[in-house]
Amino acid sequence: MDAAPLAVELKGIWKRFPGVVANAGTELTVKRGSIHAVLGENGAGKSTLMNVLAGVYRPEEGDVRLFGERVVFANPADALAAGVGMVHQEFRLVPTFTVAENVVLGAADRVLNMGAVERRVAELAEQFSLDVDPQRQIWQLSMGERQRVEILKALWRDAEILILDEPTAVLTPNEADELGLVIRRMANDGRSVIFISHKLHEVKQYCDEATVLRGGKTVAASMPVADLTPRQLAELMVGEATEAALRPEPRQAGEQLLSVQNLRALNNRNLEALSNISLSVHGGEIVGIAGVAGNGQRELSDVIAGLRESTSGTVTLFGEDITTATPRQRFRAGLSYIPEDRVGVGLAPQLSVTDNAILRSYREHTRGPLIAVDRAKAFCADVVDSFKVRTGSLDQRIAGLSGGNLQRLLVGRELTAKPSVIVASQPTRGLDVQGVKAIQELLIDARNEGLGVLMISEDLDELLAISDRIIVMHEGRIAAEYGGADANRSAIGLAMAGESP
Amino acid sequence: MIRPVLVRREAPVRGGQPLAFAVGLSVALLLGAVLLLVAGDSPIEVYRRMLSASFGDLEAFSVTLNRAIPLALAGLAVAIAATMGLWNIGAEGQILFGATTAAGIAQAGEGWSGPVLILAMIVGGSIGGALWALGPAAAKAYIGVNEIITTLMLNEIAIRLIRYLINGPWKDPEGYGFVQAPALPEQSFLPNLFQRTHVGLLIAIAVLAVVGLMVSRSSWGYELRVAGSSGATATYAGISLKRKILTVLVLSGAVAGLAGGIELTGNATRLTETVSNGYGFAGIIVAALALMRPSGVAAVAVLFGAVQVGGQSIKAIGVSDAVSTVLQALILFGVIAAGVLIVYRIEMTEPKVRST
Repeated sequence: MDAAPLAVELKGIWKRFPGVVANAGTELTVKRGSIHAVLGENGAGKSTLMNVLAGVYRPEEGDVRLFGERVVFANPADALAAGVGMVHQEFRLVPTFTVAENVVLGAADRVLNMGAVERRVAELAEQFSLDVDPQRQIWQLSMGERQRVEILKALWRDAEILILDEPTAVLTPNEADELGLVIRRMANDGRSVIFISHKLHEVKQYCDEATVLRGGKTVAASMPVADLTPRQLAELMVGEATEAALRPEPRQAGEQLLSVQNLRALNNRNLEALSNISLSVHGGEIVGIAGVAGNGQRELSDVIAGLRESTSGTVTLFGEDITTATPRQRFRAGLSYIPEDRVGVGLAPQLSVTDNAILRSYREHTRGPLIAVDRAKAFCADVVDSFKVRTGSLDQRIAGLSGGNLQRLLVGRELTAKPSVIVASQPTRGLDVQGVKAIQELLIDARNEGLGVLMISEDLDELLAISDRIIVMHEGRIAAEYGGADANRSAIGLAMAGESP
Repeated sequence: MIRPVLVRREAPVRGGQPLAFAVGLSVALLLGAVLLLVAGDSPIEVYRRMLSASFGDLEAFSVTLNRAIPLALAGLAVAIAATMGLWNIGAEGQILFGATTAAGIAQAGEGWSGPVLILAMIVGGSIGGALWALGPAAAKAYIGVNEIITTLMLNEIAIRLIRYLINGPWKDPEGYGFVQAPALPEQSFLPNLFQRTHVGLLIAIAVLAVVGLMVSRSSWGYELRVAGSSGATATYAGISLKRKILTVLVLSGAVAGLAGGIELTGNATRLTETVSNGYGFAGIIVAALALMRPSGVAAVAVLFGAVQVGGQSIKAIGVSDAVSTVLQALILFGVIAAGVLIVYRIEMTEPKVRST
């Protein structure tokens, strides 16, 4: 044997979910003592693969090997016992416990000597430069500090392999650099770190090797990062251009309908999510917003729809300032919104098809103080027929509908109101091929009828196929803008990754 | 080793809730019978007495209905709040403060005619209950304070308030040194409808019908259901969550307070700290068994009224009326446990293979 056994070998991993193949024979090998990036767009199968390695999911086919030995995990505890620790995007910490208590939770001796535990946690933190006070309670800590606690939890359990799922998404740039140093120390200590990301500069900066996934398959395995340019990584990630089959006939854009000027807004963690965004949407055009998830797209659509306050800047519709208008006023003024969270924002999960169909118009289907059930049902039947929503009965809960039918119901309801502008956030995500096509055609039809469409998507192929213009967002700013014809796939990929083309 | 595992059914069993109710009730009666046997009593004799005391004849049934009135109103109060996903654990306190308000009105309006006084007391009770819920409602709506805690804590405060009043400003001057509130004027007693059921029954039925209709059919109730299903969806549709939380909790308090007003005019002779008689807490169970639907509350309230009336009747044969409390709890457990089997089925499986 000339080489040390590999820390991780995932061979031919298959994992399917209803309607989706998340991993289709995915391969991954990670060397001992190295930092290994796993790259890919949303839906490429990264998270599923990591959950297989961490014992959360069982693969339908394929082998998991650690240090050359085949292992089968029944649950995350098995994986942890075998040395695989994972830091999820959503932290799993008890807010009212101290750092030390969280670290030993579930891994403590029968008799707990907190003083000794705190000392050992402090030593461990010191060893890996994880700056955090063992005696403080979680709720007092920043997101960066909480992440260090999660890493400490894994180290406390002697994790030889640490998976970090998009660890920098919650960090400030300084914290991200500190994290880079921490994982380098871990690698020097002989441990392996798997670093999931889609930010290319981080991969270049922190990682040794990279594996790129696309559509559940490994398209590039264990490539030395030093030899790669960001452009090459971006191209591997987004893949080659496909035929823009749906692209609508170019047409003259009409008058300006929606305009956003110098918009700023905070995200849920009170960090700036939108930094001075200006854009406009004209009648008869589809404006595509491209970008990696978490670069301000969600906040942008929420601010336009009135679900999130802006800190400065204006939103105008038909030249009228609607910056402070309520969601209902905006809808009445002709702004429809297909939110990213279909069920839970756009639709009410426990209510019936009819109740969901009248969400925007229930005040029009009333008789006195009561809802006129007959008229509500007639309205619902109309939406269901016109937009081919397949449902057993109008009274059944929407929970029984498939994703495609839910989206038809939602899009149908929003279009039935005859809006002039429609903001669609990830309208085709998670749908099957037919569902994607149906929703895209509805949006193109709307555009052909003169509506202005603002479409946010993480699927670059989709945006290239149907947009008249593409705007790329990165870290809350507009990184680039392209006309439909001269939109260049690799240039957009680079802009998405925060590199200048 | 083979062991039973709960597996989720594709769809819940049809007509499952009445079925679960019947199963739960039977299991509760069976377990209760075991308890009675252990205590040396004859379950058949005890159950026969309970049944005849609560449903035996029209008079017995009229007593049961009297009990069902506050139970139904308290259950409705809890169910309305639950439609929006809120927990009003304070119906007990709202009943007490409603009764206190009604007692205050009775003192002020001693000279009023019966109908006017009774109407004022009942409306006043309702307003009192609404006021008692206003604090938790505003705290929840504007600063997000958990309503379970605030409504629960106000129960204790309502009891202390009554204690203070009957020890101090409202102490009965003709009480021969007894610490008690003054007797209510005779014209404040709610007239009977039939046998021993008072007119409160009609009020309760009307309120159940109107509020039930509001929740299930009105656009106000529609907004409530949307908000209960998903707050974000409500905001998206332009429904103000703050206003909804405020109105629904205040209405919930008003319905509970109404029960307080009716209890005071219908069943009490003076204000006491036990006028609520645990109806507010029993109302939570009633609402839960009715699946938080106003339509189911009435039926469950009559059943619980019967169990309570039956429980009191067996004291005559030397059996503790704690039996009825135990039975109420067993019914709740039984029905909830049976309810699990509507959604899940039991499968015998071997534990998953583990390897290291």
